[in-house]
Amino acid sequence: MALYIVEADCISCGDCEPVCPTNSITEGSIVFKIDKKTCTECEGDFDIPQCVKVCPVDNCILPLEA
Amino acid sequence: MDSQAISRELALRIGLAARALPDTDAKRLLSVLTDCIGLPITEQKLVDLNLDTLKTALAGEFADVDEPLLTHALSILQSGLNVPEQQAYSDGDMPGSVRIACASNDGINIDGHFGSCSQFMIYQVSADEARLIDIRDTDIPDDLEVDDKNVFRAELIQDCQVLYIASVGGPAAAKIVRLGIHPIKLSAIDPINEVVDQLQSVIAGTPPPWLAKVMGVEAANRFRFEREATG
Repeated sequence: MALYIVEADCISCGDCEPVCPTNSITEGSIVFKIDKKTCTECEGDFDIPQCVKVCPVDNCILPLEA
Repeated sequence: MDSQAISRELALRIGLAARALPDTDAKRLLSVLTDCIGLPITEQKLVDLNLDTLKTALAGEFADVDEPLLTHALSILQSGLNVPEQQAYSDGDMPGSVRIACASNDGINIDGHFGSCSQFMIYQVSADEARLIDIRDTDIPDDLEVDDKNVFRAELIQDCQVLYIASVGGPAAAKIVRLGIHPIKLSAIDPINEVVDQLQSVIAGTPPPWLAKVMGVEAANRFRFEREATG
């Protein structure tokens, strides 16, 4: 389980990067990206994914289909 | 006293020119002008004024001001604000363009708060052309009942993809986003033409994916970087 950032919607604001409890978010060459190997969707840390909570764009961070 | 009175037009120019300069009010500019051209301030004296004189006047009061700003202020003093002319536009005229709204009070700078600016300057911008296509007054018509001023304002610019503002409140920004408009708050008050120039170079270069998307560029044609391996 992991989340991903929709490239066409991300505005590269960077708000999500510091709130990730597992430091899975980094700035990629186009937009920000989530490392699917370390993303936990915040399970164990928070009730809801923190990046989704702070992201200003609707439906920009979505669950990765397994 | 009469001999020192200045016309309404000149007073307006001085006020606007002062606003174009950092940390300058009309009083400060007026004292510099008085020093370099003397009273009464007349249109002819302003036209004859050159940049160096303005820069060195009053013991170099404006010596530290950036030259482009001073040049801009001088042009306002000499000819007033030249509000750009509107040009006709019909859909399809400018392929690969984006429509932007600029919240403005003076028609020159993006100096407006979303909820209080007097007008939205609407530009159609492509890599090599920019047209002022409309100026939309934000006054609510008398015969219209409006529940939410910010919704009214957002609907006024519904056909735009991007909105530039000097500031905007959170709830208002949400209403703007809901209409599919991308709000961009500038960190300083910038002239519209500079922002348009900058946007044109972005469009001409590699527009970020979100911008390419609102411009209607097909996903397949958007510039792509090599996929990075994340897995």
